[in-house]
Amino acid sequence: MSSFSLTILTPERSFFEGNVQKLVVRTATGDLGILARHEKYVAALSSGPIRLVLEDGTVRLAAISGGMIKVSPERTAILANAVEWSEEIDVARAKRSQEDALRRKESAKSLAEQQRAEAKLRRALNRLKVSGMKTQ
Amino acid sequence: MAGANMKAIKRRMKSVESTMQITKAMELVSSSKLRRAKERAERSLPYFHLLYQTMSEVAAEAKGFHSVYTELREEGAALLIIVAGDRGLAGGFNMNVFRRADARIAELEAEGREVILMTVGKKASEHYAKTKHRILGTFDGIGETVTTYTTLDMAEHIITLFEQGHLAIAELFYTDLVSPLTQEACNMQVLPVPYMLEQGGSHSLTNYEPSAEAVFDTLIPKYLAGILYCAIVDTFASEQAARRMAMENATDNAQEMIDDLSLRYNRARQASITQELTEIVSGANAQK
Repeated sequence: MSSFSLTILTPERSFFEGNVQKLVVRTATGDLGILARHEKYVAALSSGPIRLVLEDGTVRLAAISGGMIKVSPERTAILANAVEWSEEIDVARAKRSQEDALRRKESAKSLAEQQRAEAKLRRALNRLKVSGMKTQ
Repeated sequence: MAGANMKAIKRRMKSVESTMQITKAMELVSSSKLRRAKERAERSLPYFHLLYQTMSEVAAEAKGFHSVYTELREEGAALLIIVAGDRGLAGGFNMNVFRRADARIAELEAEGREVILMTVGKKASEHYAKTKHRILGTFDGIGETVTTYTTLDMAEHIITLFEQGHLAIAELFYTDLVSPLTQEACNMQVLPVPYMLEQGGSHSLTNYEPSAEAVFDTLIPKYLAGILYCAIVDTFASEQAARRMAMENATDNAQEMIDDLSLRYNRARQASITQELTEIVSGANAQK
């Protein structure tokens, strides 16, 4: 199977750079699989799992918290606020941040605070979910 | 008499020496912090470069592109985001950016616009707490540890105000690290997004989902957060560079003072020895 070059960037660092056979991301309208020679495509990503199939066939999972994907003939790039490999997710920390988010949501005084807490909760839940997913 | 003078000089030398130790230590701390801040700024560059590029492409390629974030407005206040340091002792670092911002505030007020401020860094908060402007938010002590979550919060706050029509324009004031030896106070307009439409015309084959406008609008908070992040990191690096230079100068000056004082000390010592000798010799002569 032919592969294509993928970069995953966050503001803090370059998270992944290399060739992959297949990529599955979660957009606002649903999961989207990308293979080599995909058409030019740009979309916003919601927080969720992303799945990479590397050149040697190994599957890697990562949790992404919002961002965008840009597919062009030269390369495919994902810009994310934060990404973590599923095996590197600190489950205890994610649980703590989930509880913290819940507490904050309860005690939120303004709508903005509540929305912020909900966003935090979604991120924590996403990380927990991805950490428990199997690479099949 | 000479003895008392010598003692005073010795005491001053001691105090200058201990000051020099402090300035030397601050210089070293700043240079290591500067190195780390520069690395952080460089690591974030590819991300923002690509983000900016994508946004320009979206704006340029999509036919009849239109977004609330690019249109100019008459009504509304002006928001100035002023990024400065948390501490002083960095030469004219903080003052340079305040002077620039103050000039702009005066200009905007002459046009009859209301000015709202958002300050980053303790020095900026202190400086503008004294003025009568409405302060939208103060963010102190985040320069060294800033994350995109913080800046995303700031960005969303600004964007909400903009969407509700309270703001006509948002400008960012920060200090750019041109090189470790030069820092420059800069300002840029961040909203409405001031660029991009010039390329135009190239019809797009890119598939935007759900639409070019929607993609552009969801990128806006990230873009603004990105600019803020870069500005804060850049300013922090500049602060360290400015402090390193100021402390280097202070150390040099202290060394100069010590050299000067030790010359005077030695002169006083010699004078007192010569005087004692003269006294002994003249005493011996008198007894003959």
